[in-house]
Amino acid sequence: MTTRTDSAGTRATSPAGARTNVPPPQPGGRLDRLAAPLAPRATAARVAGGVVTVVGAYLPWVTFVLNRGPYPEKASLQFFVAPFGVTGFRLHLVLFGLAAIVLALVAVPARGRILRGLAWGVIAVSVLNGLYIAVQGGGLGAITASDGAVAFGAIVALVGGVLLLLGAHAGGIEPRPEWRRQLNPWVERGVLLLAYLALLFVVAAVLTSGGQGGAANPFSGAVFLSFLGALGGFFAALHASGLLTWITALSERHRLFSVLVLLVVALALPLTPAGTEYWMTVAANIGVYAATAIGLNIVVGLAGLLDLGYVAFLGIGAIVAANLSGAGAARFDIALPFPVVMIICAVVAGIFGAIVGSPTLRVRGDYLAIVTLAFGEIFVRSAQNNIGGLTGGSNAIPGIPQVELFGTRFSDRIAVGGLRLPAGVLYYVLIVLIVALVMLVFSHLKESRLGRAWIAIREDEDAARAMGIRTGPIKILAFLTGATLAGFAGAFFAHKTGTVSYESFRFTESVTLLAAVVLGGMGTVPGAVLGAALLFTLPEKLREFADYRLLLFGIALVLIMRFRPQGLVPDRHRRAELAHDPADDHLVEGTSGRDTGPTPRTEVPA
Amino acid sequence: MSTAEAVAPERTGGSPILVADGVTMQFGGLRALNDVSFALHEGQIIGLIGPNGAGKTTFFNCLTGLYAPTAGTVSLRGARLPQDPARVTEKGIARTFQNIRLFPSMTAEENVLVGRHVRMEQSPLSSLLHGPKFRRSEAAARERSRELLEFVGLARFGDELSRNLPYGDQRRLEIARALATDPAVLLLDEPTAGMNAQETEGTRQLIFKIRDLGVSVVVIEHDTKFIFTLCDRVLVLVQGELLVAGTPDEVRGDPRVVEAYLGAPPEEVEAQLHGGDGDGAGATEAPADPVDGARDGAGSPTTGSHIADLHRADPHRKDVHP
Repeated sequence: MTTRTDSAGTRATSPAGARTNVPPPQPGGRLDRLAAPLAPRATAARVAGGVVTVVGAYLPWVTFVLNRGPYPEKASLQFFVAPFGVTGFRLHLVLFGLAAIVLALVAVPARGRILRGLAWGVIAVSVLNGLYIAVQGGGLGAITASDGAVAFGAIVALVGGVLLLLGAHAGGIEPRPEWRRQLNPWVERGVLLLAYLALLFVVAAVLTSGGQGGAANPFSGAVFLSFLGALGGFFAALHASGLLTWITALSERHRLFSVLVLLVVALALPLTPAGTEYWMTVAANIGVYAATAIGLNIVVGLAGLLDLGYVAFLGIGAIVAANLSGAGAARFDIALPFPVVMIICAVVAGIFGAIVGSPTLRVRGDYLAIVTLAFGEIFVRSAQNNIGGLTGGSNAIPGIPQVELFGTRFSDRIAVGGLRLPAGVLYYVLIVLIVALVMLVFSHLKESRLGRAWIAIREDEDAARAMGIRTGPIKILAFLTGATLAGFAGAFFAHKTGTVSYESFRFTESVTLLAAVVLGGMGTVPGAVLGAALLFTLPEKLREFADYRLLLFGIALVLIMRFRPQGLVPDRHRRAELAHDPADDHLVEGTSGRDTGPTPRTEVPA
Repeated sequence: MSTAEAVAPERTGGSPILVADGVTMQFGGLRALNDVSFALHEGQIIGLIGPNGAGKTTFFNCLTGLYAPTAGTVSLRGARLPQDPARVTEKGIARTFQNIRLFPSMTAEENVLVGRHVRMEQSPLSSLLHGPKFRRSEAAARERSRELLEFVGLARFGDELSRNLPYGDQRRLEIARALATDPAVLLLDEPTAGMNAQETEGTRQLIFKIRDLGVSVVVIEHDTKFIFTLCDRVLVLVQGELLVAGTPDEVRGDPRVVEAYLGAPPEEVEAQLHGGDGDGAGATEAPADPVDGARDGAGSPTTGSHIADLHRADPHRKDVHP
């Protein structure tokens, strides 16, 4: 907000309001102070941190036999199999430690910042695995000493990580370097292609890491989280080097190429290690929620209208699809073709969206959130009570037939040429196309008169009205569009899962969707997809933590809001703002007239 | 300065474009505006001055459809204006706000593009499909936005987030955004608040340029020197009533204005007001001294002393509360 200094003589030169955007204090400030005593020996601390991390990776991590999997028996020689004698999280730690030692000794731009990323990765991996072993092993004895056995791997690795972090801060965190390199356009496209291929394998690795969750595989959650932690550190380090920013700039320069390659890359997922029926199903579910989250992103991210009952539109789409596709328990005895069903679902959900959106004409902010919350609840209760015989009540609507195309059922295993593809791959292809379509809708609308009107309403509704935006219809249109996209996804969801029950569309799902949007980044497509992927993969992986699922979400959201309020993939504008920070100061100082000095205004001319 | 003096003589110009007739605004027991009438002619710049709480911003809100007047009518080119800010803007009235209300996380250019909203032929369907017609309308809007940024002198900040612009530039961006709606009438609510002398002079020149485009302008401002050298006519609003209306010279010489504004023995202040005639530099700034009069916006108006603090705008009190 602007302030006016009105004491005599200063009014004329009051640029006090000019700096409307004071950057928040850097979270690293306290760490910098903490690391200050180490400053003279920063390099030594960094090297030591790396060495301790590597040592920690080679030490035993458990004092008891934890079956098998990534926590090998302390006494076995399993540590010493290829390549560095370790696998899994130990391999990550060894690589991070070695990278840290190299970076500590070799001058690289922004190495303090890169090391900080690696350090947080080491800390995340050691804490997550240590905690898991301690909890599963029945106490801190499992990661220290008990029953005559010692195992300080987790603690030593944690010390290494902290040492590395302090060393990084002690040597100073440099600003992120900017890569302004312009290469031959085809070389740039080649770089992008490699980056997207790498992304494909990262996605496949994340998806399959830890394996299929469940009773047979108690480690899946811990391994998955540990992998995410390592990946987070790795990407933080990459980002610190300026590489990710450069690649983003490249992708913006070759937008169409990027979109096409990404689509192909997404379709190539079945060819990676993730190409099994199980992972195809998980990926298809993620796709459903990603499409829905993008729809929600129109309402929340663009128009700034908080919707707490959004999953109801997905439910409406699914229920309509269930009733029109010839399921045994359906209300209507018709079986329309899938594309027709999809369109009807989208239209019906859109109509409900407009109805739910209509209170926005009268209520704003918190009150609107309560109205949408009530709508979500009305939907769930109505569906539970089998309203109009449409929803099947607690029996749900089972037996929704598979989508068929030219006599091929989408759940079948198929072979293209000599290539044998897993069952469910057609559903995966279909959902990729649906998500691509939804993304196209979102980004087209965002870059249009309508999208700008939505953003204007989010920013300042009164000013938007003063600019001639008829806010009522435009807000209803936001609800309608978002609900339509969710309805689309709902039709797919019904056919893919084969059963539609009200239990899939409860408040928790709405909150998770909202969390996905906020976590990923409000108003961006990749953000919504990433958020949805994370939040709907986690329950799959963390079956053994099912009771703590909401608790974990809560903690994750609090951390994101504290340390990265713009979300994992921030909006282009917010990125621009962050990138421009130092320049802004210059901008403000240079043109506000502060340098003209105070003009004596109180004098009375003779 | 010389430009100002040259154009200051009354321009009655063309036919009346914006006419308010007996506008009265009652908030519960408080009569914020009482029977205010005025006519803005084509090509005119009218200044609206008055102490804090006189109802200037309320009057703006009535003109732009944000408030529905309790009595009286507002008409543009003879047609009554609708009770909806969006449609009033469509009809051709644009405004800026007393405390800047840009869209902070949009770029300068996007802010102006939002102003083009009402003048763009672009249905939701074409927004979705991005066909050739969409591209044409989008390109035209961007072209116009860049022109307007250039017009107010912000061309090089087009890609800057509006919240990162310096204060004075934000005010100019708000004007560009308002101009993007192709208004016939532009209402400026304290366009120079918080500006230094140099920036104020820049704003004066900008308003003349806008007038030369054929846009009629109404300006609220506390800086009387600014108003007297800018406007063709000046209205003085005190306690919701139109006290005086006339040319800057008439208003400046009116003892009631002096009394309402300064609450001091007229001779003394009059001397100050007229003393600034020649070069005008800061002549009327003296009353801004905080020694003069307690701050009391809500009190009763019977004596002049507490309405004298005419430089103390409180952005939170007088803004739009729909």
